[in-house]
Amino acid sequence: MKKFLFLSALVTTGLLSASAALSQDWTSLKEASRNIRSVKAEFLQKRYLQILTKPLLSEGRLFFYAPDSLKWEYFSPLRSVMLQKGTTIQIYNFSEGVWKPEMTQAIESRRMVLAEISQWFQGRFDESKAFKHDYSPGPPARVTMVPGEGINRFIQRIEIVLSARPGVIDRVEIEEPGGSRTSIEFRNVEINSSFSSEVFEKP
Amino acid sequence: MIRRKGLDICLLGFLILSAGCVPISKTTLSPGSPDDLPGCYAIFPGEPWESVHRIEATLRGGGSSSLLGVTKGEPSERRLQSLLLTPEGFILFDAERRESGIAVRKAVAPFDSSAFARGLMEDVSLLFLPPRVKPTTWGKEMDGAMICNWESPDDSHTEITGSMESGWRILRRNKQGEVIKEVVLNGPFVNGLASRMELRAFKPASYRLRMTLVQPSP
Repeated sequence: MKKFLFLSALVTTGLLSASAALSQDWTSLKEASRNIRSVKAEFLQKRYLQILTKPLLSEGRLFFYAPDSLKWEYFSPLRSVMLQKGTTIQIYNFSEGVWKPEMTQAIESRRMVLAEISQWFQGRFDESKAFKHDYSPGPPARVTMVPGEGINRFIQRIEIVLSARPGVIDRVEIEEPGGSRTSIEFRNVEINSSFSSEVFEKP
Repeated sequence: MIRRKGLDICLLGFLILSAGCVPISKTTLSPGSPDDLPGCYAIFPGEPWESVHRIEATLRGGGSSSLLGVTKGEPSERRLQSLLLTPEGFILFDAERRESGIAVRKAVAPFDSSAFARGLMEDVSLLFLPPRVKPTTWGKEMDGAMICNWESPDDSHTEITGSMESGWRILRRNKQGEVIKEVVLNGPFVNGLASRMELRAFKPASYRLRMTLVQPSP
């Protein structure tokens, strides 16, 4: 459950942020998100842990196709990919030269969360039972997601910093109780570009 | 029963290679030259350190799991803190080993048993901390390779052989002389840490961990 929540925070913030625009108010931002058909982006994730002097760096990319297809992939330091197409979730790790299915118990949890994520992505934020949102026009414009009771034991808040380019964000910050946090910087974000549906089917 | 089963599977639960038996001829050495003694500690970092490893765990039946391992060491205090993370960065396990025992700060199922914590911290200790006592015997071969033997108060044995050029091997034997764990370390060494390590455990559970250093920091 906790793992799934953390992952959902990473994924949802990436998708949600891609739909936000600097000059929009919250209502028009929701409206804009309804026009998002697909998102493609690369990301650099910085994991700040109290145990480490320097952050743990991870690189990857994501693909999203509305309403419920998602590929969230890490290139380094571990090659790992999560695939969602409809209600099917698959997780693979690249090990010893081949992709191997992840032996995880979190598949069902991830499916549930990704369903909620898809709702957010389509502008149905008020349907979320997990997070409350707050929009600040900035500059830079920010969307702050505050978790409800229970989830706040693992995630304190999520802050999405939007770029000046409509539909693109600069970064996402996820804060956890105890001082650890994660920063995800998105780059080369493409909105409504075309790509093969096969990206959601295999690593 | 269920808990016990989960525990066995998990010990991170990492692989089960049934064999468990690595025939080793026991080397009998006299206490070696004091000049050679530091060579017995060459593979263990001597200063405070921290690291990130990519860990590939192979399980019974060929199953596998990939995780990130973050470790911090204070050699002078024989203190180690170890974290296991998913590729997304979620902390599955966080524990600290001190002289007084193991303190688990966070453990998510199926990594939340005391046996898992004990097993993991034993593995981390084997990889990064020398035995507490002085070697009983040690020596240097003609090719420069070190051979060091430790005998613990509980009659278990630790043997370290190798060199920076050829790589190193650590064997942990139980009081019956059976090899229960084997570690192979290969260079280059970065800030005192091996670039690649492979740990095979044979008893009581069998598993294999392949660890690649991805982020060393002093």
